[in-house]
Amino acid sequence: MLQETLVLFKNVRKPGYKGNLASYKAEGGYSALKKALKMTPEEIVSIVKESNVRGRGGAGFPTGLKWSFMAKNTGKPSYLIVNADEGEPGTFKDREIMLKDPHMFLEGYMIGCYALGCHHGYIYVRGEFVPAMKQLQKAIDECYEAGLLGPSMWGSKFPLDMTIHPGAGAYVCGEETALLDSLEGKRGQPRTKPPFPAVAGFNGCPTSVNNVETITAVTSIINDGAEAFKELGTPNNSGTHLVSLSGHVNKPGVYELRMGVSLKDIIYDLGGGIKNGKKLKGVIPGGSSTPVLLPEEIDIPYDFDSLMKVKSMMGSSAIMVFDEDTDVVKLLHRMVRFYNHESCGQCTPCREGTHWSSMILRDFVYKQGSAAKLDRLKRVSGNILGATLCALGDACAMPILSFIEKYPEEFRAYFADA
Amino acid sequence: MFSPEGQKKVNHLLSRYPVKANALLPVLHLAQKENKGYLTPEWLEHAAKLCEVPLAHVEGVATFYTMFKFRPLGKYHLQVCTNVSCTLCGGSEILEHLEERLNVHAGHTTEDGQFSLEEVECLGACGYGPVVIVNEDYHEHLTIEEMDAMIDKLAKSTEEWPERILPITGASSS
Amino acid sequence: MPTFYLDDNPIEFEPGEKVLAAALRSGFHIPHYCYHPALSIVATCRMCLVDVVDMGNGRPAPKLMTSCSMDPADGMKIETKNEKVKEARELVMEFLLVNHPLDCPICDQAGECTLQDFSFEYGSGSSEMEYSKRVYGWRDIGTFVMLERNRCIHCTRCHRFTTEVTGTHEFGTFNRSHQLTVDTFTDRPMTNKFQGNMADICPVGCITEREFRFKRRAWKLQKTNSICTHCSTGCNITVEQDQNTVFRLKPRENQEVNQWWMCDDGRVSLRQFNNKKNRIMQPMGRVQGTLVKASWEQIYEAIKDKVKQLAVKKDEVVAITDTHASNEELFLLKKLLHDVFSSEHVFFPLRLWAQPDSPNFIDTLITTDKSPNTAGAIALGIKGNEDDSALKQVLSEKTKLAFVLGNPLGKESEIYDLVSKADLIICIGTVLNEWAERADVLLPGSTPVEKEGTFINKNHRVQKINAAVKAPRHAKADWLILQELIQSLGKQSTFQSTSEIFNSLATTLETFQGLTFEDVGDLGCSLPAT
Repeated sequence: MLQETLVLFKNVRKPGYKGNLASYKAEGGYSALKKALKMTPEEIVSIVKESNVRGRGGAGFPTGLKWSFMAKNTGKPSYLIVNADEGEPGTFKDREIMLKDPHMFLEGYMIGCYALGCHHGYIYVRGEFVPAMKQLQKAIDECYEAGLLGPSMWGSKFPLDMTIHPGAGAYVCGEETALLDSLEGKRGQPRTKPPFPAVAGFNGCPTSVNNVETITAVTSIINDGAEAFKELGTPNNSGTHLVSLSGHVNKPGVYELRMGVSLKDIIYDLGGGIKNGKKLKGVIPGGSSTPVLLPEEIDIPYDFDSLMKVKSMMGSSAIMVFDEDTDVVKLLHRMVRFYNHESCGQCTPCREGTHWSSMILRDFVYKQGSAAKLDRLKRVSGNILGATLCALGDACAMPILSFIEKYPEEFRAYFADA
Repeated sequence: MFSPEGQKKVNHLLSRYPVKANALLPVLHLAQKENKGYLTPEWLEHAAKLCEVPLAHVEGVATFYTMFKFRPLGKYHLQVCTNVSCTLCGGSEILEHLEERLNVHAGHTTEDGQFSLEEVECLGACGYGPVVIVNEDYHEHLTIEEMDAMIDKLAKSTEEWPERILPITGASSS
Repeated sequence: MPTFYLDDNPIEFEPGEKVLAAALRSGFHIPHYCYHPALSIVATCRMCLVDVVDMGNGRPAPKLMTSCSMDPADGMKIETKNEKVKEARELVMEFLLVNHPLDCPICDQAGECTLQDFSFEYGSGSSEMEYSKRVYGWRDIGTFVMLERNRCIHCTRCHRFTTEVTGTHEFGTFNRSHQLTVDTFTDRPMTNKFQGNMADICPVGCITEREFRFKRRAWKLQKTNSICTHCSTGCNITVEQDQNTVFRLKPRENQEVNQWWMCDDGRVSLRQFNNKKNRIMQPMGRVQGTLVKASWEQIYEAIKDKVKQLAVKKDEVVAITDTHASNEELFLLKKLLHDVFSSEHVFFPLRLWAQPDSPNFIDTLITTDKSPNTAGAIALGIKGNEDDSALKQVLSEKTKLAFVLGNPLGKESEIYDLVSKADLIICIGTVLNEWAERADVLLPGSTPVEKEGTFINKNHRVQKINAAVKAPRHAKADWLILQELIQSLGKQSTFQSTSEIFNSLATTLETFQGLTFEDVGDLGCSLPAT
């Protein structure tokens, strides 16, 4: 029986844990910060680098490396911005942290700010997450009262402020440069790179943008050391990660797991198998933009590299499961409608291509499909792939291509002459 | 244009950013909340003045984000998620049912101004689908029966315009 | 210098220069829409995708790169013509045309539309799009341009123009996804004075000039390089005409003067060139109080007789010119007075002006000095002062003969009345203005689009105007009229062309030292002395 490995959720899973400052401190909270304040910022960055923690927002970029890219001695302020714009369909892990153990996240954030020399942290929370924002603001207020935040962070000479910045409904703002534009009070459109945020990010200052979970992991990395964190995972995929499990499973939810446990076990052990005793039809392994897996493909370790091998991605560790009764054509149409709705519209292939794809799929849903239209759909989405400024175009094209590849019969059933 | 209370919040917000322009999104949120849930050209102009940004920029920003509205909203704003996980768990059925029950299409407000129904994209609570946000509160694992019971209750409600608070003003300005 | 290779052609680049910019500078074309050298780089049209087969380190780039935003590296090898790039362009073209109305037959941009051009060059020629297209209505967005958003390809050049170039911020990008549009705030009309440039930089027919709307197909226009004579900036332009009618003035790139821009007032100044109603079509002389038409021979003969009869002395003659006259004309006017009457009484109304300060370069294109050749008049030693006191001094003595070039000072000025007392007033001009009422002789000259000549702008740059259209049959170039006057009054002047005059004046006058007409060229050149 697969068990959770509790690191980030060690408090959350404790019965009666309230998530406020008192209860967090009772569990030994803010000891990592204490430890960190005795180190130099460079030491912290090198520990994080050594831990080999990879970004949990979806791209899996090594966090320590990202931090070490930060431009130094620019005469401008540096920023560490937290990406809590959890928008990838299927993902709901950051919300859990913010709702249930905000201080563990804030502690990691304070350490990060100290390491990068950031004196004002901004947490970009998606606008719909009002309950999470409330909880987080309460925790921030507690920190100000306790002197953890403010002109001298916990008695150190390091002033630190924190502000929650609410988004306003745009999936694309999860892309880090779009997030920065949105944070600056602009339309959340991804920027062209270079310059990279580490050189010119928020208001043109050196900036690192990290996911809530990644930042929370920093707390445990500093607490327990880089080695301990590495040991929790597989080589090149260190630590635990929060897996969002949803769809047709008996026990959906967020689970904290070691890297590299079996995907099948996650669904059948932790998830309690498929609802109503139905048969599995497919698994979307890393949020809706990742290529779908067939039931016979899921007996693999769940980590970044293993999923690459089956031509899919772990993305934001969001597993969506659907059963044999699911109409994949309708499901795909719904997904593509989402990407069309959320495209910022600046790039030609994404703006026109996502809309066109959704129109073709609508024909299928209305049983007006044809072999020519299927080819066209493949061509259109194939042409979006790799041609756009940010990954949203790819995120739309990848599921389309994989659904067509893996469920060709289902599409044929929607041909007008079928 | 802001109430004294609202203006206080705005001032606090503006003080939290290196430049005033950065505060545009939260200021628009607050403006929308003061104006019963939607923005007007006058409010856009006011926000532009407060944040010291050009008018066209404000309109560009406001029209980019789906949470900014330009038509009056109902007292209860029902946001039904029909994205992948919720749809797998019956989100679309809930939306269809609500359309039927309230006799409006998604994206519209009932004639009595009590309900606005909206189909929304993923709300980030995928394990708890189907999810519906009423004003600002998440309602999870909803069934059609529970939805009906909630509508029954809200339809009878005589409360004033329910306050929608932007929860980003605390003691943190110290 | 570091070098990269574009389809095996070596291109040297400066640090900070992007691949596309370096390629264009070196004369290689990579198709693009959203890129414009004056605007920030957004890399969104995806038309300039290129294949980087070697990033300079032996490895290829993982995917096609936008050349507009890519930093070149020494030894980088880029292909722009291979199958991969061809296919990518074809698809971008197809995507761009998915919602484009293809209303080229009624679109003013047709013929100079990059969507047409690239579609022809790089497109596949067919589309599988079978759904209805986005539809918006026409919008009237300002004094100078119209907006037809159906044609928009969302390059956002217009938005960036009002943000980055004029700083007026009237334009924005609204909505998102395939509903993305460009427009003004709550549909308000634009107020900036440079709207025409938005039509210029719009790669399609989304923003078009009102003045030109539905007037002529672009391919019928013949273009002549010239400069705008609306003010002392002297923006470089092309005069575009068909069948001897000027249809529009377009800015011509000159980084030293106007960059890529010109103002709207300058553009509409073409109206005066097409004005046939008030045009002086033939030489005229006053006979018993009324102006009657005459031939050039008759008129010169009459002038000669009259001047003889009046026995004009050195101090009894005066010439007043406006500063729309070219350097060559001013030179001959001086020569006329000097050679024939030994007089130096050549005046112009000098008016001090101030350049309004602005952080935006484009604002400095508009000056309050609406005389295109003030600096030229000064350089040529034409006399003038702010309150015209010197001129008044001269006129207070008995003036028998006055030459008036153009329309220097109107009725409201004292000068007008003083000059009116002269026994013989000879006016050279193009339209029947206030001076025509008092003129004893009216000689039909040419407008700036009908003649050749040089002007000196406010920054002491010598620039050329060129003849784009033909003057009316009996009108002549002003310099020729002046030369013929000199000849008919018994002195020598044998210039064959404006270039000869310029070369002659450049050797005579110290300010122009060493300059030749050739040196001035299409882009002008600075005065050596300054």
